Amino acid sequence: MPQDHHIPDPKRFNVSRATLWFDRFMGWLIRCGGVAVILAVFGIFYFVGKEVVPLFRTAEVGPAGEIGAETASAVLGVDEWGGLPFIYDGGERVVFVGVEGGTRRVIEVPGLAGLKVTAYAFDAVHSRVSLGLEDGRVGSFLVGYERKYGSDGKSMVEPSVTLEPWFTLENGSGPVTAVSYGDSGAGRVIAVRRGEGAAASVSVLRLGMKRGLVGKGKLSLLEELDVTSELGAVPLLLRASQNGEMVLVACADGGVVYFLADSDGVSKRQTFRPFDSVPPQQMNFLFGGVSVILTAEDGRQEQWSLFRTDQAGERLFGATKAFPNLGEGKVIFAASQRNRTFLTGAGRELSIRHSTSGEVRWQGTLDLDPVTAVLDAKGEHFIVAAADGEARRYSIHDPHPEAGWRAFFGKVWYEGGSGPVYQWQSTGGSDDFEQKLSLIPLIFGSLKGTAYALLFSIPIALLAAVFSAAFLPLKIKRVVKPVMEIMSSLPSVVLGFLAGLWLAPVLETRVPSVMMMTLLVPLAALGIGYVWCRLPIGFRNRFAIGSEWMIVVPILVLAGWIGWSLGPVIESFLFVYKDLATGKEIADFRLWWPQTFGISFEQRNSLVLGFMMGFAVIPVIFTIAEDALSNVPKSLTAASAALGANRWQVVWTVMLPVAASGIFSALMIGFGRAVGETMIMVMATGNTPITEWNIFNGMRTLSANIAVELPEAPVGSTHYRTLFLGAVVLFAMTFVMNTIAEVLRQHLRDRNKIV
Amino acid sequence: MPVNLPLSRPDFIEVENFSFHYGEKRAIFDISMKIPENQVTALIGPSGCGKSTLLRNINRMNDLIEGVRHEGDIRIGGTSLYDPSVEVISLRKRVGMVFQKYNPFAKSIYENVIFSLRVAGRSKRSLLDETVERALKSAALWDEVKDRLHDSAFGLSGGQQQRLCIARAIANQPEILLMDEPCAALDPLATLKIEELITRLKSQYTIVIVTHNMEQATRCSDRTAFLYMGKLAEYGETVQIFENPSNPETEAYITGRFS
Repeated sequence: MPQDHHIPDPKRFNVSRATLWFDRFMGWLIRCGGVAVILAVFGIFYFVGKEVVPLFRTAEVGPAGEIGAETASAVLGVDEWGGLPFIYDGGERVVFVGVEGGTRRVIEVPGLAGLKVTAYAFDAVHSRVSLGLEDGRVGSFLVGYERKYGSDGKSMVEPSVTLEPWFTLENGSGPVTAVSYGDSGAGRVIAVRRGEGAAASVSVLRLGMKRGLVGKGKLSLLEELDVTSELGAVPLLLRASQNGEMVLVACADGGVVYFLADSDGVSKRQTFRPFDSVPPQQMNFLFGGVSVILTAEDGRQEQWSLFRTDQAGERLFGATKAFPNLGEGKVIFAASQRNRTFLTGAGRELSIRHSTSGEVRWQGTLDLDPVTAVLDAKGEHFIVAAADGEARRYSIHDPHPEAGWRAFFGKVWYEGGSGPVYQWQSTGGSDDFEQKLSLIPLIFGSLKGTAYALLFSIPIALLAAVFSAAFLPLKIKRVVKPVMEIMSSLPSVVLGFLAGLWLAPVLETRVPSVMMMTLLVPLAALGIGYVWCRLPIGFRNRFAIGSEWMIVVPILVLAGWIGWSLGPVIESFLFVYKDLATGKEIADFRLWWPQTFGISFEQRNSLVLGFMMGFAVIPVIFTIAEDALSNVPKSLTAASAALGANRWQVVWTVMLPVAASGIFSALMIGFGRAVGETMIMVMATGNTPITEWNIFNGMRTLSANIAVELPEAPVGSTHYRTLFLGAVVLFAMTFVMNTIAEVLRQHLRDRNKIV
Repeated sequence: MPVNLPLSRPDFIEVENFSFHYGEKRAIFDISMKIPENQVTALIGPSGCGKSTLLRNINRMNDLIEGVRHEGDIRIGGTSLYDPSVEVISLRKRVGMVFQKYNPFAKSIYENVIFSLRVAGRSKRSLLDETVERALKSAALWDEVKDRLHDSAFGLSGGQQQRLCIARAIANQPEILLMDEPCAALDPLATLKIEELITRLKSQYTIVIVTHNMEQATRCSDRTAFLYMGKLAEYGETVQIFENPSNPETEAYITGRFS
């Protein structure tokens, strides 16, 4: 035996240093990449969270200065910046008190010297103090603020007081005991009470601007009407709306009488009783002048708004919201001039409330007994004053008063609406627009869009995948599959463009044709199958397996063409619209559908969307499902075929169960694509945030909403943050769906696992 | 066509001048042979000699492959497989097949056995139960699985799974059973059991088996065909082929000089 075995050199087994170094380097590089991905994900969460979380914060209120004044406070007003409030007590002068530095300034109201003011009220919208005199005259003065920059660069606010014309009342007698001034710029109205108790009379004055050729025009009295006889009880409170068209009079019997003062004159419209026989203690219009907040002596607080009910053709007041009880005590009230927030309280208990959501934003206790309060125009401060003239300023930090769970996900009774609804309308034409921020219509839109997209895509994609995997000859499959994959890379903006500008107008007039096609094509397919089974085997055997499509495709195309051409014929029989006015009959599906079902027909509708989304979703589902079906082991399909199963039975009994989890993944990826799809949705759906399943109208999806509105939303605004919240909701929806789907998929896979 | 004649027909399966092509590649060259009824016929030969191709043509499984074409004819009981009136589905019901790698479905043992009845639309409970018992007994599997018929087929051992596949083929009551290296994936003990089974089954079925295992061919076949390069090199009684081969290549192959 040879003994000279080769002894190996131990160094032979050493790994080269370069290899080790490279391995270590790559290890760290990959680790860095992984950590970076995790950081990026958390970064996105952080950023989105930062935008969304402030929406759910309540208001913060803190003390911001004390003001002492010797004048008894009766009316309190403030400038836009909350720095120079004024106090007026019915005398001849207005006292301005600077919060910072405590500077006092007294301005005599011009022309008021010697007159006895018996009634006054403050209108924060125009910073107007309306006045009523002992001799039966009414008028007002405006408090103006102007920001000036001194030579030292410091800015200071310069107040001014301007008296408006007086109007002498003709009706009633005695001193003016209450006055309220409503001003919309063009039309103005003044409500006046003369006398006290049972002798009191109420007049409504309608004013107008007489336009001259030059200058501002002259304010003149158009009409004065004594409405006392229409009240039915002693008038207690008067309130003219800021749009200069409405006057509300609260009476001792608990009734509130609504007068409309438009160009046709003054007329009584309605009497309503918010607290039955208890008269309201406070009655104030909210910003926008459509809603009024009524507070009873026992602290009950309700919002009444103007809306059109089904019975009444005109807009009347109705109760829309009840707020939490204020408690007992002297009720104070101040409405914001930016939004539907208002400051209210009874005694020392104060709260900031928001009328849209009906939520209490902040609640606190003061250490003085306020008799009056005012919010500055920016909504950043409020000032409360006690009877002795002592006043305090508080800062408010409440950037998103209109937000909240109820506003986003609850039914809200908006102003002007006849009931609580889910509604999305983030911007309006005017400053006093009430934001409607319900996400429900958008969530619904996303679900509707997805449902219609999948309704079209799933059957076609799955049947196509089965056909391609089990029936189509390899030669053709090699062409079909890449073509489908290219289809999925079509830019969705092109699809959306085609949908909106080409397909929608075509389908609009051919709905019956589409219906006939969807009926005839599957019927033709079933018919071919039926006839084929009954053909003699000798004939069938002449066609090679997999070449049947050469017969099927022309017949299906023919069926589609027949369906398309039959559409107008069917329309002329079945979809006949009767014009109610002329009695004429028109065969038009577009008119017939709304007449028959009472739901709308839009050009950009779910049908168009379904068709176009098919182009985006079908390739995704098809490709993955086809792969799953093609990857079913040949041994199983062969075993099944060898046992006498026909091709369909092979698919049904073997391929589908084994490929189930893969097909399920395909559906989920299709779902994800449909939910997140934006451009097609933006361009083809009409973007109407409605909650109807009607196939012939559109929807607005969360994703389309973000795309459409984000460029218009001011950064950091409630609207902006709400759009981010929409993104979070979208994420949550897909996350929940995907989690459920993954669990189901695992279950399916375990059940059909191949060892 | 007559189904069950009392006597075994010596020319039950007739292969006549049969050639087969996969696209451009010719796999079988002009084979003619007669396979007798109720006997075990083994097809042996080196890899790629065309024995599996020939076997898979007997139930036209090769039709599933694209680009194939054939010349000549195969007849079972006198009827050509390629007659225009032949329906492939019913042909496969007559000619069962067992594959090289056991391939039960992801179903219970019970459902695996009655698969062919299910696809034929038979659903009478008593018939199904009866079939399961009969097929499993024939496949010598009944005693091992009778208490867990509704468990997954994947819980069985390899040999049991292959016998389940045989039971699945038998449940269809075929006339012919094609076996494509049925023991290739099994250990010697399991192989032995399958061989015993084959011997027992030949009284009821005509069995054609492809094997690489010479001993298996001698142990359980009555006749043996040796295929070489797509041609039938030698065909006759197993005893004669193995003890006294007339073809030098046959001798070289069976004595293990090449494979």
